[in-house]
Order: sequence, then C-alpha cells, then structure tokens
Amino acid sequence: MTDTTGGDVRLSGISKTYGSFTAVHPLDLTVPAGSFFALLGASGCGKTTTLRMIAGLENPTTGTVELGGRDVTALPPHKRPVNTVFQNYALFPHLDIYENVAFGLRRRGIKSVKKQVDETLELVELGPLARRRPHQLSGGQQQRVALARALINHPQVLLLDEPLGALDLKLRRQMQLELKRIQTEVGITFVHVTHDQEEAMAMADTVAVMNAGRVEQLGRPADLYENPETTFVANFLGTSNLIEAEVAEATDEELLLTAGEAKLRLPARRCRGAARAGDTILAGIRPEKVSLAHADEAGSVPEGRNRVQGNITDAGFMGVSTQYVVETRAAGRIAVYEQNIERDGRLVPGADVVLHWSPENTFGFDADARSIHGVQQPAGEGV
Amino acid sequence: MKTAEAPPPASAAAPPPPAPGGATGRRNLTPYWLLLPGILWLLVFFAAPMVYQASTSVQTGSLEEGFRVTWHFATYWDALTEYYPQFLRSVLYAGTATLLCLLVGYPLAYAIAFRAGRWRNLLLVLVIAPFFTSFLIRTLAWKTILADGGPVVEVLNALHVIDVTTWIGLTEGHRLLATPLAVICGLTYNFLPFMILPLYASLERIDPRLHEAAGDLYAKPFTTFRKVTFPLSMPGVVAGTLLAFIPASGDYINAELLGSTDQKMVGNVIQSQFLRVLDYPTAAALSFILMAAILAIVGVYIRKSGTEEIV
Repeated sequence: MTDTTGGDVRLSGISKTYGSFTAVHPLDLTVPAGSFFALLGASGCGKTTTLRMIAGLENPTTGTVELGGRDVTALPPHKRPVNTVFQNYALFPHLDIYENVAFGLRRRGIKSVKKQVDETLELVELGPLARRRPHQLSGGQQQRVALARALINHPQVLLLDEPLGALDLKLRRQMQLELKRIQTEVGITFVHVTHDQEEAMAMADTVAVMNAGRVEQLGRPADLYENPETTFVANFLGTSNLIEAEVAEATDEELLLTAGEAKLRLPARRCRGAARAGDTILAGIRPEKVSLAHADEAGSVPEGRNRVQGNITDAGFMGVSTQYVVETRAAGRIAVYEQNIERDGRLVPGADVVLHWSPENTFGFDADARSIHGVQQPAGEGV
Repeated sequence: MKTAEAPPPASAAAPPPPAPGGATGRRNLTPYWLLLPGILWLLVFFAAPMVYQASTSVQTGSLEEGFRVTWHFATYWDALTEYYPQFLRSVLYAGTATLLCLLVGYPLAYAIAFRAGRWRNLLLVLVIAPFFTSFLIRTLAWKTILADGGPVVEVLNALHVIDVTTWIGLTEGHRLLATPLAVICGLTYNFLPFMILPLYASLERIDPRLHEAAGDLYAKPFTTFRKVTFPLSMPGVVAGTLLAFIPASGDYINAELLGSTDQKMVGNVIQSQFLRVLDYPTAAALSFILMAAILAIVGVYIRKSGTEEIV
C-alpha cells in the first residue's frame, strides 16, 4: 500500500450490467504506472462505473481488475491499494480536516501520523486550516482536503471522480494545473473521470473517450484531437466540420474528393477505413484550421489548398476570435474560427467568401460513421 | 501635521446601522402572533398546573378539613425517605428499558435507513402501527402473552432461559408475570417507537458516500460503523434515549399491569397518593422530586454525550 511506484492498472473484459441495461460493455484497458489517465465522456457513458469497479465500489459483471499484476477483482474496497477522490468530496463532517486526512493512516494502524498529515496538508496548502471542520471550508478547499485524504495513503492508483465538477470555471482551471503539478510531484497513477474535454486534454497524458459504455478511442490528447477515429470523438473533442464527399480518385498517397462543385484533397493516411473510388466518405476539418477570404480576394488564395465557396450567415465576436458560420453549397454549414489579428471589415453576415485550408489538416472516415455523434456537447469554449 | 486635523473618531463610534425595516418604526410582529397560541397553551396547561402543584406540595391538612399552605417543606424529605426504593426502581427499570430499546431499535433503524429499499415506508408505518391501538390495551395484551402457563413461559422454561433470568434476579418462581422482567419488557415494548424514529431520522440523513469513502480509506465495515456511522447518528441516539427514558421513568401502567407490589415504580406511588390515599401534598412533592431527578439525569447525560444540537 505504501509502494509509490505502483504498477499498471489492467482491466480485462470488464463489464457491468444492471438488469437489462448495460452500463459498461466488455472493456480492455491498460493504464501505465505513473501516468495521468482520463476517462472522458458525457454523463451516463459508463466512465464513473468503470472507475468504481477499479475502486471496488461496484462488482463487475464480467472481467477482472488487476493492479500491478495482482488480481484484485474479488477484494473489497478497504483491501485495495487504491484511493478515491469522490465527486462531492464525501468528507467526514464530524471530523476536522486533520482527522479527515489522517483517517486512512489510522485505519492501517499507523500511530504517529502527525508528520505525514502535516506534510500532506502542506502539499495542498491547507496547513493553517487543520482544525477546521469541512463545512467551514470553501468548495475549493474541501476539494484539496479530499485530495490530501486520498494522497496521504500513497495508493498505487488515485481515482478522481469528476473532482472539479463543483468548482467555478476559474478555480477549476487553477486546480487543473495544481492537480497536474501534484501528480508529477508524487508520481502516483491518476485515473481521472470527467465530462469536460478541455479538462481531460489539459491534464491527462492519455485520454480514453467513452460513449454508451464503450471506449471510442484512446490516445494522447493531441492525437485524439488531430486524428479522431470516430465521428463521436471528432465532435466530442472540440468541434468538427464533417463534409459528405465522394471519392473520385484514390491513390496510396492521396484521395481526391468531390463535394458538390468543390474538389477536396485528403491524405490517404488520414482517412480511417479503406476508401475506394466511388465510395462516399466524411471529410473533417477543425474550424480553427479553416481560413476565410472575401470573395474579391479569391485569387490570392494559394494553389493546392482545399477551397469551398460560401456565404457568411452568422458572425459571433468572442474577443480572441470570431466564430463564423458559413453556408456553402458544396459542404453545407461550415464553422470557422478566425483569430482577431487583422479583422477584415467586409467579413460580415451576407458577404460572399472563400474558405480554404491545407489538405494536410483534413481527416476522413468511411461513411458508415454517422456525423451526428457527439454533437450534443456544446462547442468548445474559445479557440 | 497638526493634531487638530486628525480625523474625528466619530466614524468608529458611529451608531450601529438601523435594523432592516426599522426606519419606518414598524416591527414585524408576525412571529409573535404565531407564537401566541403555543404560549397560551403552555401557560394554561403547563405553567398554571405547575404553580398549583408547587403550592399543593407545601400545604398541610386533610381532605375533611381542607388543605392550607403552611410552607411545610418537610413533606419533600418525608416523601423521599419513604419512597426512595420506588425512585431507584424507576430509574433502574427505565434505564434498562432504554438500553434495550437502543439495542433493539438501532439495528432496526439502520436496516430501514440503509437496506430497506422500497420497503422503507412500509416498515416505518409498521414501527408506528402500535399507536393505532391504545397504550392500555397493548399493555393488557402483554399481560396475556406473559401469563402463567402461556406458550411464552412454557418455551422459556423449557429452554431454561427463566432459570438464567431468575439467577440474575429479574424473575422468580418460573413465571414471567409479576416480575421485574415483565415490567422492563413492557416498558421496552411501549417506548421502542420513540427510540426508532429519531434514530432513523438521523441515520437516514447520513450520505451513503461517506460509507464508501470510509471503505475506500481502509476501514472495515465494522470500523466504518464505529468511526463514521455511529458518531454521525449521535443526535438520534441522544434524542431517542431521552424520548424513551423520560416517559418510561414516570410510567405506572406497566408496573401496575405487569408487575406485583414488589415492582411498584414512583409513578404508581404518585397515582395512588393522588387517587386512593388522597394525600395531595405528598403526591405533589413526589412529582416535583421526580421531575428534578429526571432533569438532573438528562442534564448530565447531554453534557456527557456532548450533543447540544438536540436541545
């Protein structure tokens, strides 16, 4: 339990069903020791159930949980070298902060807890509040107590269940950095459950995007963002423009697509699934990677870029950026985020424009993927 | 800089800001109007009888000649010296019954609060179901249940349980009726709902995630109970024990119906002094001594259990 290096968390074929409802479909997942791992998904996608199965608070219907090579599936929570930061902290209201933090040590029969408790409270910067009761603390402070109470035990794995969900936006950003700092400092494996894609991308080394009880994609945040493998991931992580297009020509390097009158190019390695000439696929492009030029300057757009003509229907000024919605005949509605560096006064609703982007930034799926997946997530804040 | 220019300290000594709504000179009287019926009730049915009883307790005289206030405080001392065994018995029986209520009621309240699921409301109704029948009838029913030659006595005799209780001193002569055990059982039965309901209320308020958190922090199930659940249910324990102990120590029905002359409690003495012997001063004095004793016991208990929230 005091082994700080820990080991991998390995879930093999783990699933959970409640009656006829399947919360988690059989799932294989390995979290490498010492990593910061995020389970990301909308509420009800099975991410918290997965976390609770690692903690031992739910019994998996099938499958096994291994911690550092040891099968712990049959162990009750109090025998697992795992600690949890609960969603609403679950601090003991009848104990002061000091005793809350010392709880785990005392249960393991450790008598002299003072030094460790003081050090841990120092780590989360709560030293002076040791004798307060939880209800006398602010949300952010309670969050730190919950973290200290778990960390002091040096678990092999620290499980965090939406730990920042109850905090306001500014405090949440601050705690994200702090959690990352603490994780680096203590080197414990963190498994973090969140529905906030920015939170997951800002903190985690590896993100698993879950949807309807399944892992859709797993990888480094930048990989997930740049190379989404499913439409769900493309839409859940940030915003994507998905354009239905027909493959006109396919080579090993490149796919030539036609969408209406527009001709688009897509590097073959960035298209998921085999696409042959004549297939219909979805081509995706992130809004911030699309450039916008007034129709009068269409000539200045460099050759070799994907280009689509359209008409601005909406422009929202966001401070750092402006978010445009452009209606195109070839590709439907396209969202475009432009940095407000040099604003072109002509780019107002009603203006005819040319959208263009580098083919390198285009990604594609074969069309059995449905493009509405994941769009219930509000578009990412800012750019 | 001249000292004369120092800012006047008036701002520090400024009068406190007027209370909200005070500017118009009108106070909101609604709370007082709402309190009025309760206060009247207490005055007529609590304060006035108390004063009347207090004056009775220091009167002398007889029924034929009439009673007059003579400030005869010796009545208190006489009552105490004559009836102290009944006082001790009351505290002992009520205390034992309260403890039994706690032992029986806690697991029940715990089960209803955490394990009952959709049966929870039904079980709560069952807890208060005895109240649909009169206290007197229910205690008379116990008389039948515990009667000599009844199945309960037979079974307990066959199992030699009664030999054990006799050895402890709770029963005698292979019977249950007219023994201390019968009175204590009656008290336990009659005041059990008063224990269960506050216990349930305080257990039900405990966030089940605290149990998960304790388990997650290496507490075994029993340790979780000892370190988290029980401390958090203390307000219910204190309220329940008070609600059971206070009426039980003044009760006389159970001792009257289930006990013999050797099990008389102070309530029986007060009842017979008032209604049979017609010695009103002694009865009033006994009532006041009982009240003072209960207040003292409750005061010490609350201080010991460290719970100010429930009073």
